[in-house]
Amino acid sequence: MKGKRILSISIGCVALILTMVMFTQFKTVEHTDIVAIETMRETELRAEYTSWQEKYQEVETKLQDTRRKIEEYKNQMSSQENATELLKQEVHEAQKNLGYTNVHGEGIVITLEDNSKAEIERFDLISLLNELKHAGAEAISINGERIVGNSDIALINNELLNSTMLMIHGKRIATPYTVKAIGDRKYLESAITIKNGFLDEMKAYEKDIHYSVEKEIVIEKYDGEMPLDYANKKEVKGD
Amino acid sequence: MIYISILIGCVIGALIGMNAPVISYTYSSYLSIAIIAALDTVFGGISSVIKKNFDLEIFLSGFFGNAILSMALTYLGQKLNVDIYLAAIFVFVWRMFNNLGIIRRYYIEKWTSKFQNKIKSEKVEKNKSPEDIAE
Repeated sequence: MKGKRILSISIGCVALILTMVMFTQFKTVEHTDIVAIETMRETELRAEYTSWQEKYQEVETKLQDTRRKIEEYKNQMSSQENATELLKQEVHEAQKNLGYTNVHGEGIVITLEDNSKAEIERFDLISLLNELKHAGAEAISINGERIVGNSDIALINNELLNSTMLMIHGKRIATPYTVKAIGDRKYLESAITIKNGFLDEMKAYEKDIHYSVEKEIVIEKYDGEMPLDYANKKEVKGD
Repeated sequence: MIYISILIGCVIGALIGMNAPVISYTYSSYLSIAIIAALDTVFGGISSVIKKNFDLEIFLSGFFGNAILSMALTYLGQKLNVDIYLAAIFVFVWRMFNNLGIIRRYYIEKWTSKFQNKIKSEKVEKNKSPEDIAE
């Protein structure tokens, strides 16, 4: 009697478990009753799954690339505004230094003129330029020709006219020579008027020279070119 | 009593199974192989009852052991990329048909013997009656 009870209970439990699992499975199969899945074999499904996963990963990497690019562009945009401003300033500064801009300020105007006793020579002008530069002149022009880094003062012999002429930047200049220099007025003046200086020297040779210290003079820009065809930039480490 | 307990077990199991949450499709393959193994054991049990060598312990150990082993084998097959569950299904279904054959033969023999007995008895009655009349 006892053995029969145990038997019936255990078999009932077995029946319970079996039917429970079976009905769960029925339900699961019913719920995943998508036509595509039902008609496909598992291997096909796996292949499909892997292909979709690959596609997903591809798209994911693309998305991340695009996001990174957008981020870069954003950074660039924010830095570009600053950069353009900085570049403009830098270019402006460079142009000013090179003499490509009109400048104004306090300075000295010296006028040299040929007279019947003596002519103004090329070396007079060159030594005057040297004196002015030494006194800290920031911008110099002779007869409107801006003196820049590669400026030259050339003496040309014109045999036809049997005369000589001075040229700056290939342009002829003639007497009277007006030399304008912007810089510290006192320094410039004293550099000229110092004892045995340029003024004394000119006067000793009886050459006509006048100067006037002015508060506001304008020096025009250099409108030539500064070719750098042969001078290449040398890369320096840490530059 | 056994039939009552089986009936009650089936009804309760069906109710629980219907209300159980849906399991994921990946795990349903394990469940299906476990069901096949359990069904095989059940048919084996019925055939052993018919053969009159039914043992509860063997039946229970076969029921749970086969189910768990088949699930483990399916898992191993997936890890090895070999469809072991196909072999398991083949074996279980083959045994199920064997057992079903035993059950079928037993009942057919039972019924046919019953039928033949009936015919015999009828024949006996038929044969007897005229004789009786004759006598």
